[in-house]
Amino acid sequence: MTANILDGIVLGLQFGLLAAGLTLVYGLGGVLNLAYGQMAVVSAMVVVFAMDAGASAFPAVLLGLVAGGLFGLLLDLTILRPVYRLQGEARVLLSLLLTLGVALIVDGFLNWRYPLKALNLFIGGGAIDILGVPMRRGSLLASAITLVTFAALFVFFRFTILGRAVRSVIEDEEGAKLVGIDPHRMLRLILVLSGVLAALVAITRSMAVPVDVQAGFSITVFALIVAVVGGLGSVPGALLAGLILGIVNVFAASYIGTFLSLIILLAAAAVTILIRPAGLLGVKE
Amino acid sequence: MLEVSGLAAGYGGSDVVKDVDFHIDPGEAVMIIGSNGAGKTTLFRTVIGLLAPSAGEVRFEGEDIAGMPAQRIVRLGISFVPAERHLFPRMTVQENLSLGAYPGRPDPVTMKLVIELFPRLDERRRQRAGTMSGGEQQMLAVGRALMANPRLLVLDEPTTGLAPKLAAEAYEALGVLRERGLTVLVAEQQVPLAMAFTDRGYVLENGRITTEGTSAELAKDPEVRRAYLGVT
Repeated sequence: MTANILDGIVLGLQFGLLAAGLTLVYGLGGVLNLAYGQMAVVSAMVVVFAMDAGASAFPAVLLGLVAGGLFGLLLDLTILRPVYRLQGEARVLLSLLLTLGVALIVDGFLNWRYPLKALNLFIGGGAIDILGVPMRRGSLLASAITLVTFAALFVFFRFTILGRAVRSVIEDEEGAKLVGIDPHRMLRLILVLSGVLAALVAITRSMAVPVDVQAGFSITVFALIVAVVGGLGSVPGALLAGLILGIVNVFAASYIGTFLSLIILLAAAAVTILIRPAGLLGVKE
Repeated sequence: MLEVSGLAAGYGGSDVVKDVDFHIDPGEAVMIIGSNGAGKTTLFRTVIGLLAPSAGEVRFEGEDIAGMPAQRIVRLGISFVPAERHLFPRMTVQENLSLGAYPGRPDPVTMKLVIELFPRLDERRRQRAGTMSGGEQQMLAVGRALMANPRLLVLDEPTTGLAPKLAAEAYEALGVLRERGLTVLVAEQQVPLAMAFTDRGYVLENGRITTEGTSAELAKDPEVRRAYLGVT
């Protein structure tokens, strides 16, 4: 029981981090980035190549985070330009189609050139006892990094002028303009942040299991499910939904079977959306 | 201070306001009155940069600001309080006010002025803006606009949805700001209140300015009395 809950929290934190970057971009700019998982995978590959070239893990990881941010910036400067000219539903749809194109191209290229590459930052050493449950060091480190990241996001959004400005655009774009905030600049900033978060997803995940070049779409799909359940645009919602779905997933896998856990996860997501269409912490339009 | 000439603007290619000329001198309070749908909101949205004009000029302190985005115009010294307020509903009163000072930190002197003007906001500092009453939200919208230290304050129907007593209080607060030298442009349907407050006014009908004059003159104009003051 305790073991399942702890495993669920570990997985849930991973889910939450996964959704944070996706949910922010959607909440802020109405842009649904289906290349999100590819941002994570490309960053992971940058870490792999840096380490292949002889870099040690820490600088390689930093390089991977920078690569994630650059990927986000590049999306903002190129493919999302026509998207910004649209509003509402048309904007969501075009962003979805264009980023899906980017995802397919990136996936195709990586599968063609580097089909067998994978990022593996496995942390060895014996298990550590938490509440009597032996936990893998890699999972614990990944969870600690995720918690620190969420704390940093909380401080950024709650207490800094820039973070408040970003939130104001999510709350009321016109109101934001009226106080002198440029919504496009905030969106660019958040796309960079989202890329860094995607990179962090791949890096923390690889501390427990290898992240291969095929991982992109499954990262996007899980991020999407968690983001929708949490309420699109809400970072606390992403964390809450991540934790709930993580725990549900682990219990389902342990009592019913791994093969059904994805279906149960989807069912839990569907039920949440039926009860609360805007998601757990989402705002009604 | 503000000079608008030949201004035309609208949505989807058809102009709602056409060939509008008006001006405001420093220290003045000017009203634009007109019935629902006359184009007051469209005119204001164009002046403050939320809508691009299709023709004409807007000059603020000599600088051409026509077509400039709202986020730049507010930094030049024009703050806008829209009728729908556009507050940040899930953020606290305090956060809404401090965002008014973006990109800087709130100026303590301005903050003090806002709180003297609307002591309610200080009591509700930690409350979320969206949970307050309409009157309090209106105070917050004006307070947030003031945090940018504007030289010109533009208000679109500041008394929308307010009980008569609150509407009168809103104009009292604006009066205090005027005494401190703020220039004010207001669009209003509650014409008597605006008339008592302003120096001059323009009547906007079907997107065009039809009458202009001092507020005292307009108060005597038979046409204005019939249409906006309910005098038969």
